[in-house]
Formats: sequence, C-alpha cells, structure tokens
Amino acid sequence: MRFVLNMARRELRSSWRRLSFFFVCVAVGVGSIVVLRSLIQNVRVAMTAEARTLTAADVYVRSDQPWTDVVLTAVRDRLAALPNTARTDTVDTVTMARLPGDGGTRTKVVELRGVEDAFPFYGQVVLGSGATYTPALLENHGALVAPDLLAQLGMGVGDAIMIGDVAFTVRDVIITEPGRQLGAFSFGPRVLVAHDAVEETGLLGFASRAERQMLLKLSDDTAVDPLVDDLRADLEEAFVRVGSYRRTENRIEQNLSRAESYLSLIGFVVVILGGIGVWSVTRVFVQQRLASVAVLKCLGATSGRVLSVYVAQVALLGLGGALLGVGVARVALAAVPGSLTDQAAMAAGVPSVSTALTASAVMQGLTVGVLVSVLFALVPLLDIRHVKPLLLLRQGQSTSTARVDWLRVAVIALVGAGLVAVAGWQAASLEVGLWVVGGFTGVACALHLVGRVLVAAIRPLAATRGFALRHAVLNLTRAGNQTRVVLLAVGLGSFFIIGVRAVQSNLLATFALELQEDMPDMFLIDIQQDQADGVRGMLDRARAEAGGSGAAPSLIPVLRARVTGVHGDETAIEGRRAVRQAGFGREYTVTYRAGLEENERIVAGRFWDSEPSALPEVSIEESLHARGIDLGDVVRFDVYGRAVEARVTSVRSVEWDDSRSGGFMFLFRPGTFDDAPHSYIAFLQGPGEAEARGRLQRDIVTRYANVSVIDGLEVIKTVRRVLGYVTTAITVVGGIALFAGVLILVGSVAMTKFQRLYDAAVFKTLGANARVLTTMYLLEYGVLGTLAGVVGSSGALLLTWALSRQVLDIPWQPAPGLNVLGVVLTAAVVALVGIASSLDVLRRKPLATLRAE
Amino acid sequence: MIELRGVSKTVESGGQPLTILHPLDLVVPAGQLLSVVGPSGSGKSTLLGLIAGLDAPTTGAILIDGVDITALDEDRLARLRGEKIGFVFQFFHLIPSLSAFENVLVPLEIAGTARAADKTQALLDEVGLTERGHHYPSQLSGGEQQRVAIARALANDPPILLADEPTGNLDTASGRHVVELLLEVNRRRKTTVMIVTHDRELAARTEVTLALRDGKTDAVDSAGMALPVSSVAT
Repeated sequence: MRFVLNMARRELRSSWRRLSFFFVCVAVGVGSIVVLRSLIQNVRVAMTAEARTLTAADVYVRSDQPWTDVVLTAVRDRLAALPNTARTDTVDTVTMARLPGDGGTRTKVVELRGVEDAFPFYGQVVLGSGATYTPALLENHGALVAPDLLAQLGMGVGDAIMIGDVAFTVRDVIITEPGRQLGAFSFGPRVLVAHDAVEETGLLGFASRAERQMLLKLSDDTAVDPLVDDLRADLEEAFVRVGSYRRTENRIEQNLSRAESYLSLIGFVVVILGGIGVWSVTRVFVQQRLASVAVLKCLGATSGRVLSVYVAQVALLGLGGALLGVGVARVALAAVPGSLTDQAAMAAGVPSVSTALTASAVMQGLTVGVLVSVLFALVPLLDIRHVKPLLLLRQGQSTSTARVDWLRVAVIALVGAGLVAVAGWQAASLEVGLWVVGGFTGVACALHLVGRVLVAAIRPLAATRGFALRHAVLNLTRAGNQTRVVLLAVGLGSFFIIGVRAVQSNLLATFALELQEDMPDMFLIDIQQDQADGVRGMLDRARAEAGGSGAAPSLIPVLRARVTGVHGDETAIEGRRAVRQAGFGREYTVTYRAGLEENERIVAGRFWDSEPSALPEVSIEESLHARGIDLGDVVRFDVYGRAVEARVTSVRSVEWDDSRSGGFMFLFRPGTFDDAPHSYIAFLQGPGEAEARGRLQRDIVTRYANVSVIDGLEVIKTVRRVLGYVTTAITVVGGIALFAGVLILVGSVAMTKFQRLYDAAVFKTLGANARVLTTMYLLEYGVLGTLAGVVGSSGALLLTWALSRQVLDIPWQPAPGLNVLGVVLTAAVVALVGIASSLDVLRRKPLATLRAE
Repeated sequence: MIELRGVSKTVESGGQPLTILHPLDLVVPAGQLLSVVGPSGSGKSTLLGLIAGLDAPTTGAILIDGVDITALDEDRLARLRGEKIGFVFQFFHLIPSLSAFENVLVPLEIAGTARAADKTQALLDEVGLTERGHHYPSQLSGGEQQRVAIARALANDPPILLADEPTGNLDTASGRHVVELLLEVNRRRKTTVMIVTHDRELAARTEVTLALRDGKTDAVDSAGMALPVSSVAT
C-alpha cells in the first residue's frame, strides 16, 4: 500500500502539468454541478422556510364560484370543532386598471386582490415606503399596487386609478406580499384593495372570473392535515379545492426536486463530456508510461499493484480537479450580481436567496468528480496489465491482446453500470439515468460511426501531390490517432450549440408566423349579453376609422361549464371524484354555433345542420375522445348551477395554432343555451397605430368596466421575453458543453504533441520549414474541425427535426445558414486551437528532440 | 543457481517461424561470473530475457534455485524477479519521473523492505553517487545513469544479476567504471553475474564466456578458446 501511494504521489509530481487538462475536464463538470445544485438548494431552503408565507394560511379553501351554503356550513362546522381558529377571505380577479378622466389613453390588465382585515395570517406585506402594512391603508378605497403598474400607467403614489366603477387612491407600492406562489403565471401587476371594495367595483357580477379563497388559521399544527382531509370529504361534490401550506410545501418541494435533478443532470452531461476528455488523456498517458510500467514489472511489481498506482493517481487527480471545480463554483457564484439574486428571490416570493455553496452540493460534486474520473480512466488503464517487461529488451513486444479480454469486457460493463448509477443518482431516477447514459452512448456511437465514414472519405486525399495536405490527411488517418476522440468531443459540443440555436430560431419563427396579417391581436373577455351590441358597435367604428382593413371582429357567446358525469354504452363516470380522475375536472369554456370554423375538422360522427334543435347535442375535441368520451355518450354539465345533458354527436380536431376563432373543447348545437345567461368574448385585430389602439382599449373599459381587454401584442412580448430567458439558459449550458469540447480538443492535441515533436524534428531535418509545417497543421486541424462541424451539424439538424415535429409540434424549418456557420466556426476554432497548441512544436530545434528519442 | 533444460525460442516472423534460440542446456552455478558474446541477432538478449522471466521459452524448462519459472504466471514471475533477479539494461531504463534516489528506492518499496531509505543511500554510496540522489535521470550522464541502474538492480540483494550490454551505450571511461562495478559486485557479494556484451575485453575478464551464433551455442574459455558446451556446466 505504501508503495502504491508513494508511487502515485511521485508520478503526480512529475506528470500533473501534462495532466493539467485532466483537472480542467473534471473541474468544469464538477463546477457546473456544484453551482446549479447550490443555487437551487438555496432557493429551496429559503422557500421551505417560508412555506406558510406562500399560502398566508394553514389551510385554504378555493373556488371560482361564489360560496354556496354547503361550503360555508361545512367550513363553519369544522372550525367550530377546533379551538382558537380564525378565518379570513380573499377574492382575486383579473381586470383592467385605467387612469380617471379622459386624459390618458393607457389601460393595463391587473391582478386585483381584495383582502379582509385579518390578512395575512402569515408573512408580511412589505411596502416600498418602508411603512408597516396595516388594513387602514386599504380603507376608503385605498390601494396598494406593484411598482411596475405605476411605471406603466405613468402615475405615482397618491394618484388615483379606476378599477371597474370605483376610483382607488394608490397609498403605497408592494415589494413582497404573502400568498403569491412561485412560478404562477401572472397576467399583470398586483393591486391590493379591501375585500368589500371589490364587490363595489361591480366586477363580481354574473359569470365573472374571480377566485374566492378562505384562509384558515389553526392553533394546533397537528390539526392541519385532518382538517384538510375532512373538508375534502365534506366538499367532494362541491367545486372547491382544499389544501394546506404543507401541501404547497410538498408541491414546491417536488417542483424544486425536479428542477434540481434536471439541472444536476445538465451538470452531469458536462461531467460526461469531461469524462471523455479524461478517457482521452488517460489513453495517451498510458502510452507514454509503457516503459515505466515495464520497469516496475521488471523490478517485481505485479500487474495489480502497478494498476493500483495509476488508479490511485487518477483518483487523486479527479479529487484535485473536483476541488478546483468547487473553487471555480465558489468564484462563479460570488460573481453573480446581487440584482439578479434579488430578482430570483422576488420571483420565488422569498426575502433573499443565498449564493453560498451548500455542503451537500460540494460533497456530491466531489464524489461525482472522483467517480467519473476513475470510471472513465479505468478502461484505458487496463492496458497496463498487458504491458510486458520484455518491452525493455525489444520494442514492439509491449502488449498482447489477441484473446477476448474478459476482464476488460467486465470492467466496461461495470463502468457502464457505474455511470448509470451516478446519472440516476444525480437525476434522482434510475430510469432517467438509463436514458441519459443510453442516449449518450447512442449519440457517441452514431458520432463515432459518422466519424469513421468521414475519415474513410478523406483518405483518398492522402494521395494528393501537395506535401502539406498529404501529410495532414495521413496524420488524421494513421493508426492510433486522436481523430475519433476529437471528432466525438467537439462533434458533441457543436451538436449541442447548433442544435439549441436551431431549435430557438425555429421557435421564434413560429411565433413570428402567428403574428401574420389576419391574425387577431386583441381579445375581449367577459362581455355581458346587454353589452354585446354596444361593444360590437364600438369595434365596428374603430375598424372603420382604421380604414376597414383586416378581418371583421366577431363576438363569440361563451358559457362556463363543468362536467359532472358521462354515461354511454361503455362509459360510466359519475361524481366529482370520478370526473376528476378521468381528467375532466376543470372548468370548460364552451360555446354554441351552427357551423364549423376554418380551423376545425370533423374526424368522427356527423356535424349538425344549421337548424336549431331542442335536443341538446355536443361536439367534442379529439383529445376528450382519447380520454374516454365516445360518440353517443351523454355528458352531463353543470352550467352556472343548472344541469344540462347533451349527446356527443361528433368529434372534431382543432388546429390550435390558428387562433383566429379560438378553440373549444365542447361545442354545442345552437338551441341548448338560447335562454341561458351567457357572456361573450371577442377576437379582433386592433388598430395598428399605438394611440388608436390605446384609445380603443380605454373607451371599451371606460364604458364597460367589467370587460377585460387583453392586448395580444403585449402577451407575445411577454412570451418572447420568457423565451429569451430560456434561450439564454440553454445557450449557457450549450456554451459550457462547447467549452468542454474545446478543452478536450486542446487536451488531445497537447497529448499528441510528443509524437508531433518527433515528426516535426524529422521533417525539419529533411528540409521542411515552419511555413510548410504550419500549413500542414492548419490543414490537419481545419479538416478535423470541418469533420466535427459536419458531424455536429447533421446531429443538430436531426435534433431540431425531432424536437419540432415530435415534441414541440411546430413546423420544422431547417436553417441551412446556421448549419453552415456552425461548421465554419467549428473548423476555425479547432484549427486555431490546433495551431496555438503546436506553436511549441514549430519553434523547437530539431536536434534536441532527436537526441531525446 | 540457474539451470536451462532444452530451452529454445521460436517466433513468427512474416508468417514464417523463426528460431532465435536453438535448444540449449546450461548450468550456471551460484556466484559465477559469466559473459555471453555473439554478433547482433544471435539470441544473446533473448537468452537473458528468458532467464529473467521477461519472456517465455517455446520449449524447455528454466530453473532458478530449483524453481521452474516457466510454470509461473506473470505476477509470480514479477515477485521472483523482485526477490532473486536484478537486471541492468543497455538503455538504463530508469523511470524519468523519479529521482535517482527514488529509482533505487522503488524495488525496496515493492518488496516492503524495512529501512528502505537507509539501504538506498548505502547503495548509492556503493556505486559512488552519494551526492547525486536528488538528481533526475535527465540530469545525469549515461555512466551515472547506468550506475543508478546497477544500484537499483542490487536493491533487494538478489542472488542473480543479469546485465544486457551494460556498456553498449557508454563512452569508454564510463564503460570501464561500470565494468569494474559489476566485477566488484560479483567479487564482494558473491552474486551470480551474467553479462551480455560485445566487448571482448570484458568477456576476457569473466570466468566463463558463452558464445552464441545464429541461436546456437558454443562455449569459450576466458582466453577466448572454444569449449564444448557441456564444460560450461561444470
């Protein structure tokens, strides 16, 4: 053992510089694991500490309909049975805010929340002025608003805003508020007012979209889960959701765990790229150590002991690289600007997020670093067993590998299993681990094959007359070269980058498509029946003023319905629970009309003719059919408290991308709802000019305060921004992968330098000057880079096709320019790196090299 | 004692069997100083490699102190070398990443010898390199490197020392120094020393000389006169 450790130490002392690339490979991977994991763990710690703040209560009951007596009684009775309980209600709705008077034309969609005095049970409303929040701020139509609303409407604290029919005075701005959840989609800035004031706005009228929430506080924490269970049982048939801060905690916990696993997996992918580098370094390193191994064997060391020396050395190197990675992670995290972490904290609804490394992330990084180093180095190190000491007497007798090497096969299997285990551990799922390692192996095999084909394809160039080109190709195709390794590593890197870029441009192209000429870009919701004519008139006038271009606006009648049962020959779904389990639990917006829209097609059954019918009929979207509703089934709906039964007479497919006339899961035959109260939505193309656009929005909202106007242009802007974040994130990850790929390139070039030194010395002796040699290397690496670029580019093309068609369901548009650019850049980077790392070879005097050989 | 019984070596060369060493019987008693001479390609180094267990014979048995080493696997052979055989190469074959001291220390560490550092220093003293222990092979002259190699070969005090053209890569003065060292080892330690050499002068100073030509043997005495092979085994 002492011999093994001493030798490993001495070998490291002399070869660490040569193996510095090994460090970097491990360090990049470990660094990314540690950074990503630490960040998400810090968010997690901050959030679980604030779980009650996120719900602002122990238990909540939510509904998008006004409370029924059944619900109120159940909650009252259950609370009465517990000591020291409290209840406070909130109501949330999405509506429009505008400036009073006729001055401004600006309107803004806001999330209005009405709260009672006891709000919040947990957490604090933090105000911009630094003042303490008290319910008194909301008295007499006071409002607290998110800072961005003030900016968007060009107003300040003390000014008034109109919401519905009521003018509110802005008393302060909200920095953080309890009860806002991470990742919840936001329609607009928050406006906090008194609960009763929301009633006064007139926004809670018939068919309005409002979520009512009862927040419950208990004195006994152990009563939380039983109360949730009891209320769920009591209210099984009511349209309410019951939960607790603990359930939230669990859900957040799950989401964060998933995020952590996903990010760690990305880190792991980088580690694998580093591992390929480790493998390549080790392979060359073993070649350089053959003589030393033979000497050790000659001096009495068994194969096992020599192997142990090098495994120990690799483990130490892995540990060193991992420590370096942790250091890099520390620096990287410290360099994250405070404004960014503050933003992240605000998005997560917590006061602050630490950028410190977490112990668990560091431990995992170190373990993964050492494990991956050893696993990837093990197979090339096994060659040490075959080194014969006879090598010292006679060159070319060094190894014997004629028979099938079962130990090698076993070790490869073990390494594979080890990698699956590490990947599974990092992703917290063995299945994911299998997929990742399997996928990697698949891609690597494909790249390897493509590489072989390409290398074979350039072989004929070795017969060309040009000295430099001939030798460049010979260098690439001769036995024992690093071509395949570099192709694999750089190919993977460029595959990643080009692929991500191409998917992104495909996505953006799709969004651009959706903004084409006759697409609606403005949506009106919650138009009441008695407002329909007025709104239609306003829209027509606005269109006439704008020159009458574009599609005529249409008002579509909508009702909100819930499925309460499905009955047919083979279907029997009855009761809330069964409906929920079958996947129809949500509230559906439904409509009726006599004909099909352009984006609809009947795939089964027959669509009704234009005559109204007293017999209720419904046409369903095909995904509902896939979930179990058949032609001929009778579906029972609850529509504003009224039960409606309708027979399914057709199944439609809906082109959801084409949003001109919206899409509906359930479409009724006219007649069923003739007498039922309903509201309208409108899809229209707003005026192109910004001021006219603003004026129209304002006019509608001023006259019909309950109507919400959603500006599609702004939504698309938001989506673009989010897409931008995602793209940046993916590009960063892809960048790290490319960085790792370039490192592997630098390493493999550096490792072949010794061979190159000798060749260069011989060439120089024979009269080749530096220019010829430079051309030769430039061609060699240029060709290599081109091949790697072609490999990566083809992979990327395949990836974008698969992602667009199979996953994202968007039209596939190849981006040949991007692919060509990718190939050119890869070739340039590889050629540059190749030349830069060969400078030493070019400069060195031949005699010294020849003497050393 | 080294004993060879019908030892031969045949290799494949260009698809044809090529006999490097024809069946050979040889007995080298403990403590003997023996040289092996012959032109390039006559099988000298092959013979040495076979005795050291670096290569396996095609036929025959090789006994080192009565143990047939042809029956041993690679790991047992390695251990046997560690205990009983020291080897000195024409090209020194020091480990370039280790200092002279460490190169000598390695076999002692492999064997797990106690007070290895003291022994190493004593060995360096013995070969006249007391002050050069911390130097790396690249910082030593050829002669010095070969003396380190001899110290390394002697580290575990093996009964047998095999030297493959130890002066072949050295200038005359350094070569002479190395030769004196080897003869001294044989004299003082009673080590069996077997030297492959082209150097007639060196061969003349050994007790027995074995001459090889085209893989076949004839023995010569210290005066360079041919002897029947059987007489070597006396």
